[in-house]
Amino acid sequence: MTTPLVEDSTGGLKTGDTLLEVDNLIMRYKTKQGYVSAVEDVSFVLHKGEALGLVGESGCGKTSVALSLLRLQADNGEILGGEIRLGGKDLVPISEDEMRRHRWNDVSMVFQGAMNSWNPVYRVGDQIKEALDLHWPERLNRAETRQRIGDLFALVGLDSDAQDRYPHEFSGGMRQRAVIAMALSCNPQVIIADEPTTALDVIVQDQILKELKKIQADLNMSIIYISHDIAVIAEVTDRTGVMYAGKMVEFGDTGDIFSAPRHPYAWLLLSSTPSIVGPRRKLAPLEGEPPNLLDPPSGCRFNPRCPFATDQCRVEEPPLRDIGDDHQVACWNYEQVPVGITSGSVV
Amino acid sequence: MALEQKPPDLEIGPPITGLEGSDDEPIIAITEPLWRIRLRLLWRSFKKNWGLFAENRIGLVGLFVIAIFAVMAIAHPILMATAWGGDNREIYDPVIGYDAVVKEFTVVEEVTDPLSEIELIDARFTNINAQVGDVIEQPQQPASPSSRHLLGTDPLGRDVLSQLMFSTRAAFFLGMVAALVTVFIATTVGSIAAFFRGFVDAFLMRVADLILLMPLIPILIVIGGFWTIELWQLGVIIGILNGFGGVAIVLRSQALAVSVKPFVDAARVAGGSRWHLIFRHVIPNVLPLSFLYMMFGVTEAISLEAILSFFGLLNVEMSWGLMISIAQAEGYLLRGLDVWWLLFPAGLAVTFLAAAFFLVGRAMDEVVNPRLRKR
Amino acid sequence: MLKFIGVRLIQMSLLFLVFLSLLFFLLQAQPGDFSTQFLDPRIPPENRDLIAARFGLDAPLWKQYLTYMGNVLQGDFGVSFQRYPRTVVSVITERLPRTFFLFTFATLLSYYLGFVLGKVLAWRRGGSQEMSITLGGVLLYTVFYPWFALVMIWFFAAYLDLVPVNQFLTPLRWRDAPFSANSVFTSIIWSTLLLSIGLGLALWASRKPDNETQRRLVKWGGVGLTVAVFLAFWMPHEQRTYATDIAHHALLPIFTLALVAFAGVMLITRGSMLETLKEDYILTARAKGLAPKTIRDRHAARNALLPVTTSFVLGLAFIIGGGLITETVFSWPGMGELLLASVLTQDIPVAIGALAMVGALALIAHIIVDVMYVFLDPRIRYQ
Ligand SMILES: Nc1ncnc2c1ncn2[C@@H]1O[C@H](COP(=O)(O)OP(=O)(O)O)[C@@H](O)[C@H]1O
Ligand code: SF4
Ligand SMILES: [Mg+2]
Repeated sequence: MTTPLVEDSTGGLKTGDTLLEVDNLIMRYKTKQGYVSAVEDVSFVLHKGEALGLVGESGCGKTSVALSLLRLQADNGEILGGEIRLGGKDLVPISEDEMRRHRWNDVSMVFQGAMNSWNPVYRVGDQIKEALDLHWPERLNRAETRQRIGDLFALVGLDSDAQDRYPHEFSGGMRQRAVIAMALSCNPQVIIADEPTTALDVIVQDQILKELKKIQADLNMSIIYISHDIAVIAEVTDRTGVMYAGKMVEFGDTGDIFSAPRHPYAWLLLSSTPSIVGPRRKLAPLEGEPPNLLDPPSGCRFNPRCPFATDQCRVEEPPLRDIGDDHQVACWNYEQVPVGITSGSVV
Repeated sequence: MALEQKPPDLEIGPPITGLEGSDDEPIIAITEPLWRIRLRLLWRSFKKNWGLFAENRIGLVGLFVIAIFAVMAIAHPILMATAWGGDNREIYDPVIGYDAVVKEFTVVEEVTDPLSEIELIDARFTNINAQVGDVIEQPQQPASPSSRHLLGTDPLGRDVLSQLMFSTRAAFFLGMVAALVTVFIATTVGSIAAFFRGFVDAFLMRVADLILLMPLIPILIVIGGFWTIELWQLGVIIGILNGFGGVAIVLRSQALAVSVKPFVDAARVAGGSRWHLIFRHVIPNVLPLSFLYMMFGVTEAISLEAILSFFGLLNVEMSWGLMISIAQAEGYLLRGLDVWWLLFPAGLAVTFLAAAFFLVGRAMDEVVNPRLRKR
Repeated sequence: MLKFIGVRLIQMSLLFLVFLSLLFFLLQAQPGDFSTQFLDPRIPPENRDLIAARFGLDAPLWKQYLTYMGNVLQGDFGVSFQRYPRTVVSVITERLPRTFFLFTFATLLSYYLGFVLGKVLAWRRGGSQEMSITLGGVLLYTVFYPWFALVMIWFFAAYLDLVPVNQFLTPLRWRDAPFSANSVFTSIIWSTLLLSIGLGLALWASRKPDNETQRRLVKWGGVGLTVAVFLAFWMPHEQRTYATDIAHHALLPIFTLALVAFAGVMLITRGSMLETLKEDYILTARAKGLAPKTIRDRHAARNALLPVTTSFVLGLAFIIGGGLITETVFSWPGMGELLLASVLTQDIPVAIGALAMVGALALIAHIIVDVMYVFLDPRIRYQ
């Protein structure tokens, strides 16, 4: 086998070049009661070799964004606007058949319920082979396929022989590792990991995160990391987007966001989470519930829960604005948000 | 009918005035009698479940069909007492009635159309001088529908509509007997198996397996051949076989799920006796699911009754199966649409009523099993 | 695997023994006994007792039971009353292949069609379709079966005149046939059995090669070859015209039985498919970029097959009952028709023998499906 384990399939992109651009993406679910606006006007850029985080409370539309990127949203979901440009090519208008060729080959995904990502009646290796058969540029014979899957398994810390086993013979952690191996199998340009460790116990969770981070660094991969757990995002990502009620409310360098969030929601979210490292701090409460996306609040969607809300916030929607240092915030009154999260509550 | 019984949130009446201020007295008190509260809770859960049920149009179709048949069953005795009563009774009685509708027949050598032709030998019964080619008047059986007999008469000259309505009652009766016996046995067996576990459980479940494997129809046919079975006996037999068989297995797993719930544990800790626990806590929570199986039980009973009386193995005065059986025995079946009133009313009645109960059961299944619901 | 089959076989044999015992007690519990039913009432009591003693009817119940079980286990169900002096076993062996034929074909047909249609319907579910499919399926499932069979006979045989009205063969054509109907029938069964095995092998072998064109080649080549061999066997065969006569008669009963059983299979498949489609691994399969058809067949349907297989065991009694009615209504001289006729003519040994045989048939089908299930679901293979 001369094929490198994971080759650069990004057509000579260098680290830091723009790989994936999402522009004003709108995706809504049609239900009996009306439209659920799960992804509303979301934009971001992913660079080559970068780990990007998406964070937000459960139900704020993170999974919906991820699925939209692959155009895999549920049957009742529809992309109503925006562009998803991968290496400059917009994926929104292309045909379903063409889209299928990009799935896994260019963008692969580790799902939220990765434990159940395996079809129980087939061997793990055969399920990875299925992806290879479909996308690998040249036909691999049996021995080559085994070799390739064995290499991938070694990468994620599994025995090569494990590929002959059925999913139910794996532990939760092993299944998750195998899912990561499958996501890597076709050398995708982007991997989306949606809550990849949420269902695992803490120790395994930590191991897998560390390995994932190492693989990402070693292979210079671009990864979109989705979690409701800000600790996880802080640990593994370079840049972070904070989502609230289907909208991107803050975007910037992970270090900046975690040390000095500018959006009131991000600020409250971080302040309300006890930090294990760093100084003890007083917790500011994040009160209330996320809004019903069938009928989101007018103006800024955060206004009913926001301590800084003004009349303007209730009528006019704040755009995502650059505030320097590659940092963007969608808030009329971000200047009022205390810098740093150590000072407890202002309310 | 909610599957999981939540601890009832107590209805609290308005604060009783005059008690405010005294700190050691409760400032609110329950002002309604307990039974009213229970009734209201029941009504509320009924309304909620009805809402879920009504979302399913197919279940409503089933209920509607059942209602039509119920009206027929109720209307029959009323008609027999009024329009079909008195002197008309001899004509309209479903079993011993008789009406000769006189029609003209052509005498022929070999009959090709029994509705308008008559064989020479038969014609001479009425008219000794009849010749081939003559047109003679002769009572017609079966007679085609007319204003006198809306669905015509059967090969023995009896009113088909009256038979059809009369049989409806038998179908409901049988269905109810079978369903009640099924539910009674299955709930008891399932709860006991789940609660006692161990040997009792294993034994009852092996019995259930055995019954499930036994081919029901052949066995009923043999039983029907050896004994004379009455309608209610058939209901009881079906009820016993189902109650100890498949339904017991389903209800056992439900009872198993219930008997590990916190409120049962709480009752156990509080020192409730086993039987008390079973009757007060396990069975009430298994009942909703048994209602569901009652519906499927009715479907099965109706079909089995029709099949057995079709083969003449059931001791019943009149039933849908028997009506078809008579039509077949008299050789009218291959005439198909020509004698539609002999074939279709009874055949469709069995099919529709059985299907209606089945549809209601399916719709109830979606209420009881949330996992089947659409999002 | 062998151990599993062994354990299952032992369990089933025990069950069969219980079933046989129940039959014995059913016999015992029937009103009267042989001596009151079948002897001239004018026979004086002493002679009556003598006759009863000769048949062992005076022995204690447990002894009679042991004798009965002993005989039955040696395959001795006694002598038919109606067809004296033929033994029950000889009557049954004549009938068994015909029932087997009807049952197997109707079952395979209904499961195959029900599965395929249920799968497709679930895949493109839609509002208006939902209602009509369910209604139609439920109506077929709950239809008053003897009536339905009669309507089918009227429509296809009498009205459209497509198939012969009734019976197993056309008596006129067989008047001076050089061989018995059963020998022709046996050839039919064996050749179709081999045909199905050949088709199965072709489909199985076609999954092995690595690329699509090879796979297709193996599949269609195998199917073509098997069919060619089948035709090559029958075309020049001396029994051919007689075989087609039987096949012609078998068409409508098989179709009718399959149609009714099909409805239940379709509803179950559809429900099970809809459940499966919600699973995470279906989303994974879509994310991998697999073609919709591959997802439907290889991932969704393959898993939906498991509950359908389980339901087969539960539906077994239903199909057997349906088969019995089919035989009776279509005058198809098999086990079911035998059972009903013997019940109606009080031919008790035959009735009991037929019932025992039907029970054995159900148990065997059950074991086959159990073993199949183990192959279908790897999760239970290593338990
Ligand atoms: N198929 C669907 N139909 C209607 N609403 C949906 C559907 N899937 C998700 N939603 C709704 O869309 C919103 C976003 O969901 P999701 O993307 O799963 O959030 P997250 O991944 O951040 O938890 C939620 O309010 C959820 O209820
Ligand atoms: S725009 Fe107004 S309501 Fe929204 S986050 Fe900023 S201050 Fe709060
Ligand atoms: Mg999510």
